[in-house]
Amino acid sequence: MTTTSIERNEAGAPLISVRDLSVSYDVARTGKRLTAIEGVDLDVHEGEFITVLGPSGCGKTTFMNVVAGLVKPTTGTVLVGGSPVTGPGPDRAVVFQDYALLPWRTVFDNVKFGLEMQKELKGAGWRERVQEAIELVGLAGFEQSYPRELSGGMQQRVGLARAIVAEPRILLMDEPLGAVDALTREVMRDEIEKLMAATGKTVLFITHSIEEAILLGDRIVVFKSHPGAIKEIIETGLERPRSERSIQHDPRFLELRDHLWDALQGEATAAAVSK
Amino acid sequence: MSAFLAAGPNLGRGGIGAWLAGLSPAGKAGVLAVEVVVMLVVWQLVVGVFGWINPVFLPPPTAIAQGFVELVAGGMLWPNMLISAQAWLIGFAVAAVIAIPIGLLMGSSLPMDRVVGPIAWTIYATPTIAYQPLAKAWFGFGIGPVIFLVAVSALFPILLNVAAGMRTTNASIIRAGQVYGASRTQLYRSVYLPSTVPFLFAGLRQAVVLATIGMVVAELAGSASGMGALIIKAANTYQTDQAFAAIAIVVAWSVGMTQVVTLVERWAAPWTRKGRR
Repeated sequence: MTTTSIERNEAGAPLISVRDLSVSYDVARTGKRLTAIEGVDLDVHEGEFITVLGPSGCGKTTFMNVVAGLVKPTTGTVLVGGSPVTGPGPDRAVVFQDYALLPWRTVFDNVKFGLEMQKELKGAGWRERVQEAIELVGLAGFEQSYPRELSGGMQQRVGLARAIVAEPRILLMDEPLGAVDALTREVMRDEIEKLMAATGKTVLFITHSIEEAILLGDRIVVFKSHPGAIKEIIETGLERPRSERSIQHDPRFLELRDHLWDALQGEATAAAVSK
Repeated sequence: MSAFLAAGPNLGRGGIGAWLAGLSPAGKAGVLAVEVVVMLVVWQLVVGVFGWINPVFLPPPTAIAQGFVELVAGGMLWPNMLISAQAWLIGFAVAAVIAIPIGLLMGSSLPMDRVVGPIAWTIYATPTIAYQPLAKAWFGFGIGPVIFLVAVSALFPILLNVAAGMRTTNASIIRAGQVYGASRTQLYRSVYLPSTVPFLFAGLRQAVVLATIGMVVAELAGSASGMGALIIKAANTYQTDQAFAAIAIVVAWSVGMTQVVTLVERWAAPWTRKGRR
């Protein structure tokens, strides 16, 4: 539990290996070519929790979509477990900012969605797995509720359960707490921290919250915009388990926060001006 | 006035809106009943008691009730109602059977949408009454032209709504499907189709109203039977009370069938059911 990120980094070949990744596309309306991200290099090791921090429009979501297999790289390579990404796969699950639940399915049926699509409902024990995932995210008793009967925080718990039930090696989270109210967000940060520490999953977590990036990340990948690219990568070096409360007064947390604040402020201003 | 405007629409935040929103289903039905009774009483007073309007042009509710009794007693109501209901149901079923698959195709294929879309909108935009003489020429003077006009009227709201539902499937949910490994078939069955269901029912509800208009229009001229024929016969002989009674039955049919669609939707798509409010 108290394994530091430095030790994790030394173990074996990286689980995700991104080399010289660029994504650009033609904008039909203006006829111009837009570069979303450029020259991204990143290695992520098994069990690492990577937070990707940057202003909106810096290409961090595009980056995640490439790893998810939803967007094809224009140049460069993305390897997961040594093989190139050609599309989505059961080794990667995504938690979406807008939850992306199926409104016509109950909580239980939403959580089983991944297993169903991967045709894993034949074997015994899938019901137990779904139930276990629901209980793990604290939604026991809501199995038969529809998403619109739940609060935003609870809907995102369903999104989390749907992602972990398929037992992927990598969890990709695209600002999962971005649409959740402030109080729930703080509670859920701590819960995600605990949950991921317990399952030991490799996580790529997109956020534009500095506190969130520090609290959750072993390493923080800071993106800059125009074009989107990695500005710097920082080891947090904070002991786990962490919580919102426990790190508040940690000098390392304060130092990181000031540093990231300065880094992002420049970026945010640049982004605002160029728009 | 300006204060009233500044408060914005009253959507159940306070006052009478909140009171209405808080009522039980029975309470809401009660409010509706009171509304209807008040309207009928005012109508009766204005026409029947004070005589401000000539009852030949607008018969009072009591006269309409009498007209209804006359229709039943004269054996004119049931046969005409049956023939209309028959034409309506067949026409509506034909429309649904044609519209749903074409709508799904249009919604899932852009070329199909480009080809069929403009034709569909053009026919939809044409007033039903314009097809009436043609329908007579094509299908004669029996139930045929009525079925045709009902089907033409009901077809396009269903078709265009289904196509719109398919097209507007939430992009994020589609991506979720892709991420979790849905095949093309699975994506259609598990994402696109269920997401189209509420649009289908919205289309069916619009279709009920338009089908009823189509039915009456088809029966109004040159038809020997049906509710439309009954209305026009009564009106031509200045038995406006009977005409209004027949109109009331057509309206009741239209409202009733809308309710049937809503009930089927609640059963088939329980997730669209509104929460307690």
